[in-house]
Amino acid sequence: MAPDLTIVTTAVALPFVAAALSPLLYRVLGERTGYAGAAVAAASFGLLATGIGSYGTVGVPWIPALDVGAQFTVDGWGLLFALLASGIGVLVFVYSAAYMHGEAGLARYYAALLAFMGSILGVALASDLVFVFLFWELTSLCSFVLIGHHTDDDESRYSARMAMVVTVGGGLCLLAGVLMLAAAARGALGGATFDLTAMIANDEAMRAALRESGLFVPALGLIVVAAAAKSAQVPLHFWLPNAMVAPTPVSAFLHSATMVKVGVYFLGRVRPLLMSPEWVSLVATLGLLTMTVGALLAVAATDTKELLAYSTASHLGLMVAGFGFDIVYGGEAGAFHLLNHALFKAPLFLVAGIVVHEAGTRKLDDLGGLWRELPVTAAVTAVAALSMAGIPPFNGFYSKELLFEAAYEVAHEAGGIAWLYPVVATLASVLTVVYSIKFLALFFGERRAPVADVHRPPIAMVAPPAVLAVAAVVVSLAPQLAVDGIVQGAVEATATGEARLEVGLPTHLSPPVAMSAVAVIGGFAAYPLRERLAAGINRGVDAPIPVRPSGWYDRIVSTAAPTSARFGSAVHDGLLRTYVGWVAAAGSLFALAGFAAAGASLGAGGVGGVRVPLAVAVVLGVATLAGVAVATASSHVSGVLTLSILGFMLAIFFILASAPDLALTQLVVETLVLLVFLLVLQRLPSFYSDVRPLAIARDAAVSILVGATAFVSVLLTIPRPDAEPTSVATYYTEQAIPGGGGSNVVNVILVDFRAFDTLGELLVVTIAAIAILVLVTMRTRGETVTEGDEEAVLDGGESP
Amino acid sequence: MRTTARVTVPIVLVVSISLFLQGHNLPGGGFIGGVLTAAAFVLIYVAHDLDYLESGVLGREVEAGTSVFEHRTVTAYRRTLLAGLVIVLGSGFAGLLVGDPFLTQGYVHLEGVPIYHEVELASALAFDLGVYLVVVGSLLTIVSVVSAE
Repeated sequence: MAPDLTIVTTAVALPFVAAALSPLLYRVLGERTGYAGAAVAAASFGLLATGIGSYGTVGVPWIPALDVGAQFTVDGWGLLFALLASGIGVLVFVYSAAYMHGEAGLARYYAALLAFMGSILGVALASDLVFVFLFWELTSLCSFVLIGHHTDDDESRYSARMAMVVTVGGGLCLLAGVLMLAAAARGALGGATFDLTAMIANDEAMRAALRESGLFVPALGLIVVAAAAKSAQVPLHFWLPNAMVAPTPVSAFLHSATMVKVGVYFLGRVRPLLMSPEWVSLVATLGLLTMTVGALLAVAATDTKELLAYSTASHLGLMVAGFGFDIVYGGEAGAFHLLNHALFKAPLFLVAGIVVHEAGTRKLDDLGGLWRELPVTAAVTAVAALSMAGIPPFNGFYSKELLFEAAYEVAHEAGGIAWLYPVVATLASVLTVVYSIKFLALFFGERRAPVADVHRPPIAMVAPPAVLAVAAVVVSLAPQLAVDGIVQGAVEATATGEARLEVGLPTHLSPPVAMSAVAVIGGFAAYPLRERLAAGINRGVDAPIPVRPSGWYDRIVSTAAPTSARFGSAVHDGLLRTYVGWVAAAGSLFALAGFAAAGASLGAGGVGGVRVPLAVAVVLGVATLAGVAVATASSHVSGVLTLSILGFMLAIFFILASAPDLALTQLVVETLVLLVFLLVLQRLPSFYSDVRPLAIARDAAVSILVGATAFVSVLLTIPRPDAEPTSVATYYTEQAIPGGGGSNVVNVILVDFRAFDTLGELLVVTIAAIAILVLVTMRTRGETVTEGDEEAVLDGGESP
Repeated sequence: MRTTARVTVPIVLVVSISLFLQGHNLPGGGFIGGVLTAAAFVLIYVAHDLDYLESGVLGREVEAGTSVFEHRTVTAYRRTLLAGLVIVLGSGFAGLLVGDPFLTQGYVHLEGVPIYHEVELASALAFDLGVYLVVVGSLLTIVSVVSAE
């Protein structure tokens, strides 16, 4: 049974509509807008939940020529992600209503949050790569707005910019990768297409086409870079901890449960398409590296949200590594951990929000024994943290066990250096246990520092993490229930072959079970050593810039600003004559190059046959003399007057050449220009006196170049004198009276046949007028402007 | 200069309007007429100043000290420009109402009109009027603002 297009598009579009309306909603509802957002998220969730089981692809064409369409694929993987996003969305909106109490800029906050949720649903369900890219970048934009929520805070702005640069830069890599896939599809599927579902259905042909064109490794690399930037993989992980300046609900929603998983999600999506030895070595290594580095940094963290941020990067690494392994267990680990991680990490963030809200600090060293004041929160944390540590029988254990199995199997088959995979995975898990206990220590054990008075949090803040913790408990007790419900569908969509996911507690000792045991026991054993461990890690973190990616980021950003400032002032010297020189010379050179490239021959035979009447010769001779006089004029007045002579001679030439309309235009424009010159004469700079030979030579060269270009263009474009009028000319002449009702062909062309062109020219004139108004207004305000006034008058006057 | 302007400006204005009106069948048209009209006004500026139209021709009081952007004459030019654009677009969209494509023009012959006996009315004239107004409005806005600098 195919999914219903209306339902899917409504579910995706609803949050966007609500986002557009949210300023209005905020005016009516005030801080209760959060509940309205929750209602929208619940509506999307409900609509999507009806789609469980009815998988398929639906869509409407948008650009049929490129086979781009608003196309959605509903399958287990997309639906799992979309349901997670909208389900956690409901809870986050409820939580926000309480957490963001009394904050400024709530209308913007809710609008961005709603738009973000719509974009995530779009990424999850779109199967057209153009749309995937669009929604992908939209999530980055919304994240930028949400991280920078406190717009007057420097750190907030810095972090928002950093997240934007990294994730949008990754998005550009995705665009390049997508274009490569589309190019390969042209060969493999017999036509340009951006349809990912079709590509995956023909994955063999796609891989062959990519390999044949040599694009396989570049496309794979670009897509992995894009996913790594989005999902905070090493070495692009540094934006995620900085993003924690965002309000906590945003961190819980974007930076643990959804946005950072977009990269993982997409890797899972293209896994069947790009699976190859290169994929395994790149993706699995990247994932395990991130898993370890993230866990190390989390152990060294001193701040609750920082710890959770690094731990998120670490768990994202786990999912990436799972998808990296070319065996069934790997895909199962990635897909199942996506769900489990959302169920334990989102409540932990929300708990961190409660702690900072009620105890007033995020410092891990100052917090401890909070269970007395916050018993429910403590229970929630216990479930979530043990699940994060991967302690059986909590849900995090199952997916981590799947990863161990995958790593062990791969190492067992490949042998040699591949044994590093299970070793590194176990090491990262030991560290995971350490930082999980560290977070748990917020609530248990001794009180560390006297915290003034801890309030009871409002119910709207406790309920969302509690709901998630209950869900985590349900998955822990009955994992097969979740698997049958949706995870199996997700595994099938991301698997390269047949896959049947069976989960449960281990019944006998196997190597992966032993790895888990080592991780748990090692973690508890290493916990007392955490201070020394953290000190060692910090020494590594404080190392000089080359090994710190954020240092590279800072260096690039801090050099880019002054460089562009220097570049700007070097290019823009503010002198109109410099610009005119460059524009004229470049335009001429391009035109000549175009003629040369097209192989035009100058031997147009028509020129020789033209007989020049005496009158025309005299007029043109006077015009030439006037031109020379302009160039050698000693003052502005004589220059302007001789220029007018040139103009009027041209007008006479037009009359002689029987073009009265042109002549009239030339006459009136010439008159107007003369009058304008009279107005501005005394304002012109008197650089005539300052004669530099080099400047004159340069100007003369540019002038000759422009003149030569005009001459060549005319020679090449005029028809032979004895040639028949072209069909267009004949049409205009014949149709002027019956079609346009006028005997002046030029005017009929202007106002009737080519009225659209005239309309465009009128717009040019109008824009010139507006531009000059703006320039002059800004000048009186004391802002810098360029001297564009007189030039624009000429532009406006000579456009037809 | 002022004496010359006094004599020539009316002539130039009449010529520009006749150029505009005859444009459909004889040399001329909205653009040329517009530029010529603008030239006539610029001549007034060169001879007198920006306030002359207000004080000398219309006999109104001129408020001293306002910037050129609030000047009543300049505002009038801007309105002319706007009106021209509206007419151009309006004449374009009018065709849509009777089912023709955007910017389609038509014409009718009116017979039995006094003096002229036969007059041809083309919808293109409306379009041309818009062109005329846009050209006059924008050129004069530019010139007056720039000359005030």
